[in-house]
Amino acid sequence: MANPWVAFLLVPLIKIVVILLAVILIAAYMSFFERKILAYMQIRIGPNRVGPRGWLQPIADALKLLVKEDIVPARAEKFVYFLGPVLVVAPALLVFSVIPFGPAFKLFGYEVTPYLTDVNIGILFILGVSSVGVYGVILGGWASNNKFSMMGGLRSAAQLVSYEVPMGLSVVTVLLMANSLSLVKIVEAQKQAGVWYFIPGIVAFFIYFVCGVAETNRNPFDLPEAESELVAGFHTEYSGMKFAFYFLAEYANMVVVSSIATVLFLGGWLPPFPNWLAAVWALPALAWIPPIAWFVLKMAAFLFVYIWFRGTFPRYRFDQLMDLGWKVFIPVSLVNLMAVGLGVLLIGGK
Amino acid sequence: MGFWGFLASLVPFELAQGLGVTGRFLFKKKATIQYPEVKPVPKDRFRGMFGFSEERCIVCHSCAKACPIDIIHIQDHFEEIEVDGKKRKKKVLDRYDIDVKRCMFCGLCEEACPTKPLAIWLTTKSYEASAYERNERLYFTKERLQDWTGVRPYPGVVSPKDGQMPDDPTGGSAAGRGEAKP
Amino acid sequence: MGNLEALKPFPDSEEMEISFGPQHPATHGVLRVLLRLDGERIVDAKPVIGYLHRGTEKIFERETYNGTIPHTDRLDYTAAATNNQALVGVVEKIMGVTVPPRASAVRVLLAELQRIASHTIWLGTHALDIGAQSPFFYTFEEREKILDLFEEYCGARLTLNSMRVGGQPYDLPDGWTDRCRTFVDQFPARVAEWERLLTTNRIWKLRTVGVGVISAANAVEWGLTGPPLRGSGVKWDIRKVFPYDRYEQYDFEIPVGANGDTYDRYLVRMEEMRQSVRIIQQCLAKLPDGPVMAKVPKVIKPPKGEAYFSVESPKGELGFYVVSDGGAHPYRLHVRPACFINLQALPEMVRGLLVADLIAVIGTLDIVLGEIDR
Repeated sequence: MANPWVAFLLVPLIKIVVILLAVILIAAYMSFFERKILAYMQIRIGPNRVGPRGWLQPIADALKLLVKEDIVPARAEKFVYFLGPVLVVAPALLVFSVIPFGPAFKLFGYEVTPYLTDVNIGILFILGVSSVGVYGVILGGWASNNKFSMMGGLRSAAQLVSYEVPMGLSVVTVLLMANSLSLVKIVEAQKQAGVWYFIPGIVAFFIYFVCGVAETNRNPFDLPEAESELVAGFHTEYSGMKFAFYFLAEYANMVVVSSIATVLFLGGWLPPFPNWLAAVWALPALAWIPPIAWFVLKMAAFLFVYIWFRGTFPRYRFDQLMDLGWKVFIPVSLVNLMAVGLGVLLIGGK
Repeated sequence: MGFWGFLASLVPFELAQGLGVTGRFLFKKKATIQYPEVKPVPKDRFRGMFGFSEERCIVCHSCAKACPIDIIHIQDHFEEIEVDGKKRKKKVLDRYDIDVKRCMFCGLCEEACPTKPLAIWLTTKSYEASAYERNERLYFTKERLQDWTGVRPYPGVVSPKDGQMPDDPTGGSAAGRGEAKP
Repeated sequence: MGNLEALKPFPDSEEMEISFGPQHPATHGVLRVLLRLDGERIVDAKPVIGYLHRGTEKIFERETYNGTIPHTDRLDYTAAATNNQALVGVVEKIMGVTVPPRASAVRVLLAELQRIASHTIWLGTHALDIGAQSPFFYTFEEREKILDLFEEYCGARLTLNSMRVGGQPYDLPDGWTDRCRTFVDQFPARVAEWERLLTTNRIWKLRTVGVGVISAANAVEWGLTGPPLRGSGVKWDIRKVFPYDRYEQYDFEIPVGANGDTYDRYLVRMEEMRQSVRIIQQCLAKLPDGPVMAKVPKVIKPPKGEAYFSVESPKGELGFYVVSDGGAHPYRLHVRPACFINLQALPEMVRGLLVADLIAVIGTLDIVLGEIDR
């Protein structure tokens, strides 16, 4: 990689395109799998008409949304109305720039890292950027000039702000153990420790995941778009491509939360028990499994749990949700943080 | 709720139980019927779309009287015919219309019919009655009622056309404009 | 909830008026609730009805008595059999006809199956409103089995038109009792499955316990009947207090709640499904033989007079009041709808609660707009 143009422009550009396409495709197919899995849980078979066994359904959905009429309510705040979906979808996609999908590997003699960049404050970057998404939700809800939308937007804002606190606190426990803010280093620290962080940080793991579900407005915390109460919440008035953006952002955010949970607690691209079973993973029968496959597998497991939750649980009420966030999760994660800190101090971390 | 109660409440056993229920359903047999390909067969007493046989109708108007919403219109006149050299008056049917679009499929017309058992099979086992134009395609005249290919009569009752299946009550050889769309 | 001022976090905040429905996913049809909200707290709720008004009671006046039966199917369209039962009951009462024992038994079978079917719809939609999607499909699978039984008996699945003045139009088809028995035998296991999903679920309890409370005295004053009344602890069931169709032969319990909240009404209805299964099992075990139709004239002309007769429909007390002038058509046929009267307590039950609770309360009242608007 002698040529700086290649190193600084071409390679990142290719990576951006690949990651972006992959994320959008994953998000689209996520909707397909969600419908399929939900259907199977509900003794139905789900979409099966477009393409073989329904596999082209997301493409058909995307095309439909693209050509649909884009309705702007007469008394909406036009500019903000337009800004809402953009503000939601951009951070959701931006976060993927720092998520490490696998370790560096050699391709055609070059060393390639399967992530865009490894920022040394990766986790802070993610928390910061993903918080911007809430603006899109609340602005979109407000600009629609619809009472249901506004209530959805307000609920969402309160929910996202309050659940970010326990989420951040549970992330901090991992930082204590790994001694780094870089996502790549966190995975490597888990390799050195020989144990994934969800074992010492089991409480933080659960809190992170539950808060992640709340952050992405998914059942049982899907109040902002609670369809039986607020019709569709903040995106009631959106149609066509703008609606598709909200939709895309929701699924992209789910992928984000799942990937971060994978990286922080489940050892990223590492195979299970990398040190104890190192001999097993080195066997020729298993060595061909690329690290990225482990990453995808773990992420998929998280996404499946998301869908499973949606298929099973009723919805919290708004005040109960706030109670849960402030009166249960924040104290528990604070106590947990102190406990883990003490443990790191005594045992020595790593 | 004491401290231990609070701690116990943090572990959601009953939520896991619920997840178990939905998880089990994931592998259960699915209830979906792939409708246009697989057509559910109605039960024998099913009250579906109409069929009619002019030969067996005795023009008694019972069905029209029994209809709670008066959608059966019957017109007749008397004709003199010779049976065994004697002159007899016989009622001849001019019109037998059913305004199916207003029908609520209560089956009272069939119950009132004296040519039992189910001889003129007013209601049949056909159920696919959708149409693109309701005023023309869901107004059934005498000819239409006898002719449309969707008729599937009750068991034991002979249909004027053999081998008919409940495919399209409003299409086929019946009168009406346009082809029945798939 | 008593003092609204104390609950108001911002004393100078403005109230918001919001029209909840008539086209809203959770109002079970075309109910419109005019809400006055303070934030998300309900200051006042006013149900606005009439979007489904068809003038059924006026239509009755131009029908023969048997011709009114298909119209009653369309009152509470989730419970056609009990509607039929109430109508034929009132005409039989004014005529002084006693139906044969087998006809009574068939009516009880249909009515109890219908009660289960109606409660499965209620559970599915109620859970769906509160956010749990899957019970909807599980309950509807069971309901389909009941509808199959109905279809086999009378040829229709929803609008049954399954009873006539003086008895039943048809006898049970061959093998029906066996299929019915198969269904009721496996049904309690399914109820237990739904309960595993919901009854102990902490989210479900949070959403239902203490929500939409109505005290026993208040419930009686509002004229509530059916599960909303029994959920408040009043043991009142028309099947027990004014037995009709030989209900006194069957051994069953009336489940009652204690607190009159949404959770108790949920438990009451779940138990009612089990009790209905018990009734059906007893009914199938001693199904009498004989005719299913009493001797009634072909054209039904009740004597001059008036009569009121009510049955315990899945929603509450469904009554018919008939005034006859001796002709073939009712002079007046009034419906005492269960849902309409139950709905009247809605403002009282939701005042001071949150918007999300309104959904739960509408769900727990189990209203059907066909019966409210008629």
